[in-house]
Amino acid sequence: MPVFLKMSVSFTLRPFARILVPFTLHKKRRDFYSTILKRYISSKIPAVSSPNKESTSSHEPLELDGWKITMKSSVQEGVSEVSSSKDNDPLAATRELIEMWRLLGREVPEHVSEEDLKTLMESASKSSKRKYLKYLYVKEKMKKAKQIKKEMKAAAKEEAKKEKLLETTEEDKQQNFLFLRLWDRSMDNAMGWKGAQAMQFGQPLVFDMAYDNCMKPKELQNTVSQLLESEGYNRRNVDPFHIYFCNLKTDGDYHRELVKRYRERWDKLLLTSTEKSHVDIFPKDNIVYLTADSPNVMTTFKHDKIYIIGSFVDKSMQPGTSLANAKRLKLATECLPLDKYLQWETGNKNLTLDQMMRILLCLKNTGSWEEALKFVPRRKHTGYMEISQHSQEFINQLKKSKTFNLFPKGSLNVYTKKKQFK
Amino acid sequence: MTFRLPGFGSFSKLWKNNPYLGLASGNSHLSHFLMNYCAIKNQQRWLSLTTLSLQNTKAMDLLTAKTRYYRKNVEGSNKVSSDSSHFFAAGAAKKRAQMNPQSKDPISPPLRNTIQLPTKPLNSEEWDKLKGDFKGKASFENWISSQLTHCHSPVDVAKSLLAWVASKNNGIVSYELLVKYLCLCVFHKQTTEIIDVYEIMKARYKRLEPGGYTLLIRGLIHSDRWREALLLLEDIKKVTIPSKKNYDDCIQGALLHQDVNTAWNLYQELLGHDLTPMMETLKAFFDFGKGLKDDQYTNKLLDILLYLRNNQLYPGESFAHCIKTWFESIPGEQWKGEFTTIQKSGQCLGCGKTTESIHLTLEEYELLKENIMRNVIDGGDQYKKTTPEELERFQNFVKSCAPFDIVIDGLNVAKMFPKARESQVLLDVVSQLAKQNQQLLVLGRKHMLKPCSRWRKDEMEKVQKQASCFFADNISKDDPFLLYATLHSGNHCKFITNDLMRDHKACLPDAKTQRLFFKWQQGHQLAIISRFPGSKLTFQSILSYDTVVQTTGDSWHIPYDEDLVERYSYEVPTKWLCLHRKT
Repeated sequence: MPVFLKMSVSFTLRPFARILVPFTLHKKRRDFYSTILKRYISSKIPAVSSPNKESTSSHEPLELDGWKITMKSSVQEGVSEVSSSKDNDPLAATRELIEMWRLLGREVPEHVSEEDLKTLMESASKSSKRKYLKYLYVKEKMKKAKQIKKEMKAAAKEEAKKEKLLETTEEDKQQNFLFLRLWDRSMDNAMGWKGAQAMQFGQPLVFDMAYDNCMKPKELQNTVSQLLESEGYNRRNVDPFHIYFCNLKTDGDYHRELVKRYRERWDKLLLTSTEKSHVDIFPKDNIVYLTADSPNVMTTFKHDKIYIIGSFVDKSMQPGTSLANAKRLKLATECLPLDKYLQWETGNKNLTLDQMMRILLCLKNTGSWEEALKFVPRRKHTGYMEISQHSQEFINQLKKSKTFNLFPKGSLNVYTKKKQFK
Repeated sequence: MTFRLPGFGSFSKLWKNNPYLGLASGNSHLSHFLMNYCAIKNQQRWLSLTTLSLQNTKAMDLLTAKTRYYRKNVEGSNKVSSDSSHFFAAGAAKKRAQMNPQSKDPISPPLRNTIQLPTKPLNSEEWDKLKGDFKGKASFENWISSQLTHCHSPVDVAKSLLAWVASKNNGIVSYELLVKYLCLCVFHKQTTEIIDVYEIMKARYKRLEPGGYTLLIRGLIHSDRWREALLLLEDIKKVTIPSKKNYDDCIQGALLHQDVNTAWNLYQELLGHDLTPMMETLKAFFDFGKGLKDDQYTNKLLDILLYLRNNQLYPGESFAHCIKTWFESIPGEQWKGEFTTIQKSGQCLGCGKTTESIHLTLEEYELLKENIMRNVIDGGDQYKKTTPEELERFQNFVKSCAPFDIVIDGLNVAKMFPKARESQVLLDVVSQLAKQNQQLLVLGRKHMLKPCSRWRKDEMEKVQKQASCFFADNISKDDPFLLYATLHSGNHCKFITNDLMRDHKACLPDAKTQRLFFKWQQGHQLAIISRFPGSKLTFQSILSYDTVVQTTGDSWHIPYDEDLVERYSYEVPTKWLCLHRKT
């Protein structure tokens, strides 16, 4: 008897199911219902006989197993359309897998392009697949957030425009100005002039691009981003370096990526990019290769030296690569005096290229390590080393006697004032 | 690093109390103390390498370590056995780590959302009320179901939750909730429920993700429909490589239902994917084989033992018991098994047979030598660890001097006692060894020759008189030279350093060469355990036998891991299962 009762329940569900899944193809429905019924009955029989369930249903008014019928019946139609077309295609299977992971709340992207899917299939291990999916997920999230922000901004702008329109119609008065509004362009112009000056008389700073085969594509992209940022920072400085990109192979990965980022500006950049090595351009004795592995610590910034920074993002633990390069060419090496001035806490002593650029520019302009090392990320150290009053005076004296002539008075004043504040 | 005042206070008492303590509790206790004290010494050196702390903080660490040990000794919770004293013995590193004062206190778990989990099924109103009480980021349904799963609540409670969710949501339950419910069912082994969920999933989704498949496989193998678990395994294979646990489940299921061929096929497939099988899988095969008279099956089990040998894997304690019972149950062959240890000479205490020697065969030796040269020293770029000029200088130097008996890592030995002068310690070690008429080589860096307070010139000259010396550049690595010189001198040559050389082992290309290196290292590394500078040199005992599963046809010797001892990857077990035939 109870079997018949259940049957009627499942039949009443039939129109209900159609509402739920309006987009489905209505193939073979009759068959489905009979199979559902059969399966339901067959699966129900052992369940009813189990003593555990009977006891619960006796004191619980709630029907514990009711949901199972709807779960089985309402969905069967939804699946039929998918299963017919794609069968053994690994790409489709992976796509479905990602979809299931998304249902489970895992960090996977909502939409995956064919290209990404192929990269995903090519990754060697499970963990690399997981990492790539997470990367896509975060990327998608950022993109969405940006889109929302953009829309909100546009709406706000529209609003402001409307208000302004109302205002201007009310009072339309003449105003006197000295300049036209061309700030950005005139800034660019000025920086161009300064850049040209640096090309002629500036101190060279070399980025060694010989590391393209030590890096994975992602690391290379990071390196190029950092190069872009350091170039931009240099351009804005009062007294920019003359930047050299050495060992830059034309049509190499580096070159391609740089041109892709800079587009048509690449040929107009005020820097020297060359396939030659830095040892061919400059005298060997004047070159100082900066590397965190160096045993020699940099004490002062010398204005007659040519500093070399390896443009190399090392995420895969290859210590000593740049030191080996410097050894090969028999160059002098130096590292920043991070331990001397900072109480190092965590993280790698390797700094990013733009941080190096900022530190070097600051050293060049002020010569003060305290000022320059402000560009070291704050999370990496707990603070500056406490230097006793006596020794600090001693250092100041030394600095005054040595470098007084090199600097304009103003910058030194700033330096001493800062010290007094502390 | 914290300053421990009470520890400091009891330090002075330690020295007065300890002899009395040792006498009171017998000889063994005293020896424990001495041995552990040596371990402290070693530990201290490791500290000095890893943390660049100041001299006095190091001394403080030592103090706290000593007092900690003292307290432990008093409590009598010391379970170190004196026979497991060699450098690579299982638990040796753990012992060293226990002295480490930097070990952190366990972090208290974060505060949880304070909702009383229901213990019996609720109806809709009650669930609604509970939801009202919930405050949190995640959705209530997901949160509560993970809590139920986490606390292993009764299945009915979770089921009532699903019924409530379904009634609110037009009869639809999300995949996430279904998986969590399935997880709970699998934990409680509710086969009928598992099959129900399996039907639902099959109906609703064309494909699941590996997590869902894994749960289904684990649930289905106990039921009559276990063969469908194999189909699910096939489904996983379409998107990714199944985990070893998936294979383990399927193999266990096949063995449970007496389908031996399927089990072996799955095992072969597992090996084909380069997965390391779980010990449970191997154990299941042995369990199944108990009392079975089938030559083919027996051979396959022996193959498993050979697999353990080739991959230097060691069975756990229960697995070892299992192997023992299987051997003893083979009809017709009278095997006798016992759990023993092996003497320092390499003789088994059980049967008196000698175990395999630690020394490499000639081919293995040559292979290792070549690999060290190519991967550790050269590594594709000679400038990384040294320079070509220096390498040539070194090779000529090694060629010109006669083969050495002992190669000393000068810097490592000299820095052993932070309070003593470096050159003094080095001279002590060298002269003590030179008295024994050993041909010595001391490796160092050039800065050692520059006279300063820590490196006295006269002492270094004495060192150079008693031993051949090679000084590398200050920025070169000296360990690769040490390895090369030792390997070049031949099998009798040993080297002295307390370095575990894990970074150099990691440079080797594959697991097989790494195992060769480890075997060679066990047989040739002398680690110093002297307590005071200037006292007589004592070394950690070198193993003369190889710790690996081995057979002589009518006997098997199988090292195994004890359940209560934590073994690090660079250590080897000390306990053995000895199996031999009664004659």
